[in-house]
Amino acid sequence: MTVFSLIIINKAGGLIYQREFQPGLRKLSTNDYLVLAGTFHGVHAITRTITPKLPYLATTPASNTSTTTSSTPTSATALASPSGTTTPIPNTTSTAATYMYPIPGVAATGLDSLETDKFRLTCFQTLTGTKFLLFTDPHMANVEPVMRKIYEFYADFVMKNPFYQLEMPVRCEAFDRNLNGWLRGRT
Amino acid sequence: MSYYFTILSPTDVPLFNIAFGTSKSGGDGIARFRFPDTAQYMNQFIIHSSLDMVEEAQWMNGNMYLKHIDTYPPASAYISAFLTPSGARFLLLHQPPQLPSTAASASGTSGSILGGSFSASALGGGSSRASASSVAANPTSPQTEEAVRQFMGEVYENYVKTVMSPFYRQGMEIRSSVFRSRVTAAGRKWL
Amino acid sequence: MSSSTKASRIGEELWKTRVDKVNAELVTLTYGTIVAQLCQDYDGNYQEVNKQLEKMGYNIGMRLIEDFLAKSNVGRCANFRETADMIAKVGFRIFLNIAPTVTNWTSDNNQFSLVFDENPLADFVELPDDGRAQDELWFSNILCGVLRGALEMVQMQIEAHFVSDVLRGDDTTEMRVSLVRYIEDEMPPEEE
Repeated sequence: MTVFSLIIINKAGGLIYQREFQPGLRKLSTNDYLVLAGTFHGVHAITRTITPKLPYLATTPASNTSTTTSSTPTSATALASPSGTTTPIPNTTSTAATYMYPIPGVAATGLDSLETDKFRLTCFQTLTGTKFLLFTDPHMANVEPVMRKIYEFYADFVMKNPFYQLEMPVRCEAFDRNLNGWLRGRT
Repeated sequence: MSYYFTILSPTDVPLFNIAFGTSKSGGDGIARFRFPDTAQYMNQFIIHSSLDMVEEAQWMNGNMYLKHIDTYPPASAYISAFLTPSGARFLLLHQPPQLPSTAASASGTSGSILGGSFSASALGGGSSRASASSVAANPTSPQTEEAVRQFMGEVYENYVKTVMSPFYRQGMEIRSSVFRSRVTAAGRKWL
Repeated sequence: MSSSTKASRIGEELWKTRVDKVNAELVTLTYGTIVAQLCQDYDGNYQEVNKQLEKMGYNIGMRLIEDFLAKSNVGRCANFRETADMIAKVGFRIFLNIAPTVTNWTSDNNQFSLVFDENPLADFVELPDDGRAQDELWFSNILCGVLRGALEMVQMQIEAHFVSDVLRGDDTTEMRVSLVRYIEDEMPPEEE
């Protein structure tokens, strides 16, 4: 049930938050984290672009609320060497969604998860475009509720902090404290 | 019965005035005071002169409703008072309809010059409407006190809502037409 | 099941289980004080007050949308009609415990009205009787901004304004919401 670390990327691809909760991954320099965020943002956008558009089925109206969020597809795994050179395989998620997107040409999501034998990276993109990247133990089940909770903490302690400037790096002590406390309580 | 209702701020600034008549037992809700319309300020004189009594009575017990606290025999005016915790005073003057006997006794007992003039003017004008209702007939009866309590309570509730309006500043005259109509409604309902 | 009843159910559920409640008078008085102060600061220039309220709402909306999404766990709306139901039956429900009626759709489904039976922001309020506020001030204009900010964050550019308000003596309180376009690029919005 190990959660190694969390990265938050804003809608422009900038790194706005990075914290390590439990040791287990090798540390990167600050610059490398920025590169990681930017690169992931780009890869994510590309994987979303190559996601085929799905036909609109009038027989299943308004079922999107359950389908988009409950889809936990079998993640495409890419074996990685210890040096960390992974070859990500885009994982087109939300294949169960059979509705037309209101925005022409934009698929629901892109790269959803990425797995090595040492860790799994799960990406959750909010409807506003913010991305949460969670590095966990590859055997950890139920990443989804953890992600939801993190999103709630983010909404509460980051977005509702009147002094937090949107799209800027997150320096909210209450967010750190609550996140740490909750993750520690879980394990 | 005719009524004159005033709200005074803690610093004795008049915030609100309204005159109305009884609506009970066939009353038409129109005030008919015993002095001519040109002398309506007499109501204000009488009401303000009871402030000393209010200030004395307000420390006697913890109630907000002080019941009937003052009488001005020359005009047969009765004053009931209600205090808000913030120090505003609700004062209600009630004047029973002029009956020939009351008018006679009023003029008989009047010692002051003011009182004499009241009675004289009262004799000349005003329609006298005898009423059998206990509220209207007897300003000091328990029924009247209870009716006034209900009236004050309802006005107080609406007063709180009115002063909660963000555009109302403390100590400002209450000009809200909504409040005025609510007070009128409360008067119609209870008095 | 129509998207409206579904949204009502979601809103009801969230209101019961996920929302921290706060005293209504606190909200009403706080908001009222802000508006009254703005009226004073702008010296009775009500057009400017409307604009400032809208701007404040916009900044709130951009933050509030995350809370809405995190709490509600709803997915993307399939069309603007569904969006309208989400706003009315879930959004207003969880933040103000009201559910305005969605009505007066245009035929192209890009414009609708929200009709408010109740408005907790405007309880106790009586507009200044200076002869102009009744015609110029939109007391609850912050709500227009909240919708604009929130929807912009989920890639919808909209325009919202009040067309009537019971505070002004109208029979109803009605807000008109128009979809301008779906925003396709994901550039951060410029600071306002």
